[in-house]
Amino acid sequence: MTKKLTRKRNVKETEASKDVAQVSETSDNEGNQDLLQPIKDNSEGEDTTDDEGIDQEYHSDSSSNLEFESDEDGNYLAKNDDSGDEDEVNDSDEESGESDQSSENEHDLKEVPKPIKSTNNAETEDKPTTSRTVQVVQKPKKTKGKVAQPGGVKDEYEDSDTSDEEDIRNTVGNIPMHWYDEYKHIGYDWDAKKIIKPPKSDQIDDFLRKIEDPNFWRTVKDPQTGQEVLLTDADIALIKRVNSARIPNPEHNEYEPWIDWFTSEVEKMPIKNVPDHKRSFLPSVSEKKKVSRMVHALKMGWMKTMEEVEREKQEKRGPKFYMLWETDTSRDQMRRIHDPVSAPKRDLPGHAESYNPPPEYLFDEKETKEWLKLKDEPHKRKLHFMPQKFKSLREVPAYSRYMRERFLRCLDLYLCPRAKRVKLNIDAEYLIPKLPSPRDLQPFPTVESLVYRGHTDLVRSVSVEPKGEYLVSGSDDKTVKIWEIATGRCIRTIETDDVVRCVAWCPNAKLSIIAVATGYRLLLVNPKVGDKVLIKKTDDLLAEAPPSDVIENERIKAAVQWSNAEGAEQEKGVRVIITHFKPIRQVTWHGRGDYLATVMPEGANRSALIHQLSKRRSQIPFSKSKGLIQCVLFHPIKPCFFVATQHNIRIYDLVKQELIKKLLTNSKWISGMSIHPKGDNLLVSTYDKKMLWFDLDLSTKPYQTMRLHRNAVRSVAFHLRYPLFASGSDDQAVIVSHGMVYNDLLQNPLIVPLKKLQTHEKREEFGVLDVTWHPVQPWVFSTGADTTIRLYT
Amino acid sequence: MEAANGEGQVQVHLKTKQEQYAVPDVPYAIDGTVATTELNTFINALLQNATQVDFDFLVFDEYLRGRLCDHLKEKAISFEDAIEIEYVERFPAPEPQDCLLHDDWVSAVKMRGKWILTGCYDNTLNIWTNKGKHVLTIPGHTMPVKAVDWVSLDSETGCFVSSSQDQTAMLWQWNIGSNAVECVSVCKGHERGVDSINVSPDEKRFATGSWDTMLKLWSAELEDVGEGTSKRLKESGTRTPQMTLQGHRESISSVQWMDNTTLLTGSWDHTLKVWDLNLEGIKTEISTNKSIFDASYSKLNRLIVTASADKNLRLYDSRINQGSVVRNTYLGHNAWVQTVMWSTTEEFLFVSGSYDNQNKMWDCRSPKAPLYDLLGHGEKVLDIDWSNPKYIVSGGADNTVRVYKSRKALVDDMDTK
Repeated sequence: MTKKLTRKRNVKETEASKDVAQVSETSDNEGNQDLLQPIKDNSEGEDTTDDEGIDQEYHSDSSSNLEFESDEDGNYLAKNDDSGDEDEVNDSDEESGESDQSSENEHDLKEVPKPIKSTNNAETEDKPTTSRTVQVVQKPKKTKGKVAQPGGVKDEYEDSDTSDEEDIRNTVGNIPMHWYDEYKHIGYDWDAKKIIKPPKSDQIDDFLRKIEDPNFWRTVKDPQTGQEVLLTDADIALIKRVNSARIPNPEHNEYEPWIDWFTSEVEKMPIKNVPDHKRSFLPSVSEKKKVSRMVHALKMGWMKTMEEVEREKQEKRGPKFYMLWETDTSRDQMRRIHDPVSAPKRDLPGHAESYNPPPEYLFDEKETKEWLKLKDEPHKRKLHFMPQKFKSLREVPAYSRYMRERFLRCLDLYLCPRAKRVKLNIDAEYLIPKLPSPRDLQPFPTVESLVYRGHTDLVRSVSVEPKGEYLVSGSDDKTVKIWEIATGRCIRTIETDDVVRCVAWCPNAKLSIIAVATGYRLLLVNPKVGDKVLIKKTDDLLAEAPPSDVIENERIKAAVQWSNAEGAEQEKGVRVIITHFKPIRQVTWHGRGDYLATVMPEGANRSALIHQLSKRRSQIPFSKSKGLIQCVLFHPIKPCFFVATQHNIRIYDLVKQELIKKLLTNSKWISGMSIHPKGDNLLVSTYDKKMLWFDLDLSTKPYQTMRLHRNAVRSVAFHLRYPLFASGSDDQAVIVSHGMVYNDLLQNPLIVPLKKLQTHEKREEFGVLDVTWHPVQPWVFSTGADTTIRLYT
Repeated sequence: MEAANGEGQVQVHLKTKQEQYAVPDVPYAIDGTVATTELNTFINALLQNATQVDFDFLVFDEYLRGRLCDHLKEKAISFEDAIEIEYVERFPAPEPQDCLLHDDWVSAVKMRGKWILTGCYDNTLNIWTNKGKHVLTIPGHTMPVKAVDWVSLDSETGCFVSSSQDQTAMLWQWNIGSNAVECVSVCKGHERGVDSINVSPDEKRFATGSWDTMLKLWSAELEDVGEGTSKRLKESGTRTPQMTLQGHRESISSVQWMDNTTLLTGSWDHTLKVWDLNLEGIKTEISTNKSIFDASYSKLNRLIVTASADKNLRLYDSRINQGSVVRNTYLGHNAWVQTVMWSTTEEFLFVSGSYDNQNKMWDCRSPKAPLYDLLGHGEKVLDIDWSNPKYIVSGGADNTVRVYKSRKALVDDMDTK
């Protein structure tokens, strides 16, 4: 704001008369001159008034200045006090600001706009004009203006006066002035003196003034003081500028050159050389830790949210009871229960329950009798009570059954199912595993092809030569017979001293040996069939005992003696005799043909023996008897030994000499077992009509139990090449089944019973005693109590 | 409806390849229910022959066995079509002629000329005449003889081979005049029993198949001119194989020369193999699903008939390479068929011997039923031979060799004479 504008408010000192008004004009001028001095003094004060004009704008901008008013008042007061000092400052400022101009010029300039200025002020700010007040009031203004000026930048808060407060000559405040219509005065000035209304001019006066006064058009009335104010040229110019929507300050140059404080171009180098600190873009670790600790605590329930704490408190405070059917209403908690059933509702009471039932509901004699008769079974009664009639409700006694009925109701609720159980509607057929048709599992034996006749008593055991050309059988007629498979011709008969319990052809094709268990003796027989070179070699091998360097222990010596066959037996083909101390029941070969194991069920803790052929040595693998041993078996691949007692099967590691596994058969009496050539599946037959398939990798319990036979199962056998197994039973049947073991460990074995072959005849409860597969062909041999061996192909 | 009941009339053309029995080619309307006997009387009436001739009737290349209508229905042939019926003179029934008693099971039998050579389970070979006269018993093998074959025969000397479970084959020379037999050489090389033997058509070589899965070829000449054979071996009369062919996985149960350089083998490993001796390799392989016990190849129709570990005989064509194309299956036996042999003169006929104690004569166009059952054996039949068209000879587990006289061949023979 320039000083010119702010120059002077020339407040007319109005006299009561019109003349005065005229005079006032002149006096204005005079006054100006008169007042020159003070005005000069006040020059800064005028500045401030102008400033105030701006202030007004500020205030209008910020309408929420209520809070500050008191402060401002304070300021105001304070500034009032300071005013004197500041005046001086201002003076100096002013001088410095106008240094280029001569002081006289300044005065001249000042003189001209004065009156204009005053009117301007009067118009805009409705200031009561008493010369005294003006001076009084101006002081604070000045101070403000002065403070604002020095920097050229105004501090809006410095001069925080509102337009209302500034320059108020009338102290009544912002009230409708018509309240003073009836009074001569129009409020009070700072000295609490009445401000007298100016004399009201009539219309003629106005008209005359209009004509006479060239300044009439620029004269306006201050509503608050009722004074007439003459607008200066500057005021008019300002109004015009405002009306034409221009910037009020004509000094303001809109087209000043732009100073590019902040360039729009992106600088290559940073203005600030200091790089951003790492923490400005890294989330705080410690905070994160804190938060995560809190989250963890929340999760673990160590920490509780306010809500939870509140709830817990409430729970502690509240009564403790459990709603049986609480969840009926709160569905959210019921979501876990699928298809919930709502609590059963009690029937509404009927007429019979009334204290005064209609007479038809009352029992007659017959009904009473009936009701009483059902005393022992009250649930059969139609009504659980006897309707009674009372004259009035007052006479109704206490309900004797109340407690009981409550209790029953509770029971009802407690025992009522809370969710509907959907019955599985599954077709029984669907549950039956889908088995492939036997037609797709060919080849397997389907018909009896050959019968090997020649034995005179039941044939207990049969074994096939590894090449598949010959067959050996042992019978109760104390003979061992060797047969040609293809023709059914008995090639050789070897007589022995005792019943032949078991025969086993050595599985090693490079040896030609049959192990024959007859009575107490185990004979190693050279059958003299097949390759002559092998026969010769075997004979050489068995001719002489290798020098043994091991001193045998007493326990073994007492159990077993090895000896070479002599004389007639040598002629028959017997090469080595191993005499046991108890009758031998079973003999089995290890796959390599060097070891063979014998079982003597009566041998107590020496009932299983392992013989080594090459060293002519026997071992007793077990020191303790774990039960009546039924049969033993070598694992086809691993150094494992299967021992079947009556109820269980134990698997021993022969190298580590420890028990690996115990298979639980859950059967009364095991009769035999056979191991799958891959070594992972074991088939067990029992005398209680069952066959058990053990998957050794899977479990110690049977993978599958087959009840295919109608009588005790005597023997089972796996085929070496085809996925087949056969079982022979006392019901004279041989059942051939498909037993596929997959290389994929995830796929369980597939077991499909294929064919029942029932051609053996029954002899004294015995049917089929032994079954064996041909090593190459899908042919199965069975021996029976009917003295025959049968081949099924 | 008529067709369903088989009571309709069927139009037939009657044809024959035997000109002496030809009838005019006019369509005849015949009742659908007729069987062979009615057709026979009808043809005989047409021919107006003095002597009754028996015919068999072929409808669409298959023998008519029951009623005509059933046959047509089975073949799904419309009754509306004119049906061609070919009739052939019925092959006369062979007559049992003789029973040659042995001491043990007869596992091999072969006839040439009038001589019957048999191999026995008592390790001997026997020579009989067709009249049933025992000529010679030849011991030599140490284990049961499994197969025999003639190499050559003339009026003075005969030459034959035998194979046995003692892992050897033996070449024998028989002087008929002096009735002396000499073991020319022992063929050693197999590691197990030799189950089959066959002499090549040019009589220079013979092949053996054994349980050791090997097929070996040996020289059949009396003077072995092999280069590699050592002196010691020659002196001892031992022969080594000319060629050893490996390929079967199980025992070779049958071997037969198809021509001088081609061999057919059947094995327990369920395959038939045709070997080319020039290439020393397998020419064709036919996989079956049963162990083969015997296979026979006919030079006349180039088909192979096999006896396998079931009751059926199967017909294969070796010219079809891929897969196991069974041309036909012959049902009729009740037990394993152990042996089978084509006729050397009749294109369609073959004989088989089975463990059901029966021999059967078959026409390969009649799969449902054999032509004749040749009864007589009381035990399993182990080998059958029809290399002399006049005689069918079979040996069995009842220690006998049965000789059946084939009548038609006899007639033909007489005609040629």
